[in-house]
Amino acid sequence: MRPRDTTEQEAADKWEVQLRKGCLELAILAALWEGKLYGLEILRRLESDSDLIVSEGTIYPLLSRLKSVGLVRSEWVESDAGHPRKYYALTGAGKQRGREMAGMWARFSSSMDKLLAPLVRGK
Amino acid sequence: MTTPDHADPKIEAYLAKLRAQLRGFNDQQVAEIVAELRSHMIDKLAISGDAVTPAQVDAILAALGTPEELANQYITDNLLARAEVSRSPLRILDSLFRWASLSVAGFFVLISSVLGYFFGAVFILVAILKPFHPQTAGLWLLHESTGDPEFSFRMGFSSTPPDGRDLLGWWIVPLGLLAGCALVTLTTRSALWCARQYRKSRTLPPT
Repeated sequence: MRPRDTTEQEAADKWEVQLRKGCLELAILAALWEGKLYGLEILRRLESDSDLIVSEGTIYPLLSRLKSVGLVRSEWVESDAGHPRKYYALTGAGKQRGREMAGMWARFSSSMDKLLAPLVRGK
Repeated sequence: MTTPDHADPKIEAYLAKLRAQLRGFNDQQVAEIVAELRSHMIDKLAISGDAVTPAQVDAILAALGTPEELANQYITDNLLARAEVSRSPLRILDSLFRWASLSVAGFFVLISSVLGYFFGAVFILVAILKPFHPQTAGLWLLHESTGDPEFSFRMGFSSTPPDGRDLLGWWIVPLGLLAGCALVTLTTRSALWCARQYRKSRTLPPT
C-alpha cells in the first residue's frame, strides 16, 4: 500500500502548490494595499502574513508584469543603506483589481467553507 | 536611479550573464531589471553581516535561480503582459523568439506557433485572393489520376493546374476566413497557455 499512499500524498501536495500559485497575484496586490514596498519587503510580507513562500526569482519578473499591465507603478528611492531601492505601489487599476479579486475570494471561500465544514469536523 | 558602487565579482558576473540573456528588452528595461536585482542582492548581503563568505553569495544567487532561468521568467511574464495589452501575432511571435533563444520549451512553442500562424495566414490569403483569381485560387486536389493525390493551397497567380480540381470553389471564401481566423486565435491562445504553464511551474520553490 505504501506506493499508493505516496502517490496520493504527492497529488495532494501538487494540488496545494497549484492553489497557492493561483492566489499569488492577489497576495501581491494585498501586500501593497497599505503602501509602497520594495521587492524584498513584499517577499517578507508574503512569508510573514501568509504561508506563501515565493522563490526570489519569481517575484521580480511578476512585479515587472504587474507594472507592464498597469496594476502597479514603481519608483526608485535612495535608502539609508546607501543604495537605491525600487518601490512598488498600487495604481488605481491595481486597487480596483485587488478589490474585485478579494471579493471573489471571499465569496468563493465562504461557500467552500460551508461545503467543507463536515470534512473539517471529521464527521 | 544611481548604481551602487560596491558589489561582489560573482554578483557582477551573474548580472552580466542575465543582461546578455535579456536581449530583446530595451536598454532602459534591462538597466532597471539589473539595478533592481543588484539592490536586492546588496540587501541580502547586508542581512548576512559584515563578513560575507563566498558560500553566502552563492546562496543568494542560487535563491534567484540561474541567469537563464531568471531571464526565462522575465521573458514569459513579459509575453503574458504584452498579450494582456495586445494579442497581435507579431507581438506574440516577437516575444516567443526571445523565449525560444533561452529554452527548449520556448523553442517548441515558437515552432508550433509559427506553423499555426502560417497556415492561418494561408487560409485567409487564399480566401481574400479568390475573388481576384476565381478560376485558379483555392484548395486544389492535384495528381488525382496518377494515384498520388496531394492537396495544394493556390493563390491563383499561376495557371490552372492540368491534373487537378478546385475542391471548395467559392466556399473557400467563408470557410478560409473562418478556418484562418480560428487557427490564428487558437495559436495565440495555445502559446499563452504554454507560457502560463511554464511560469506556473516555476513560481514557487520546490517543497
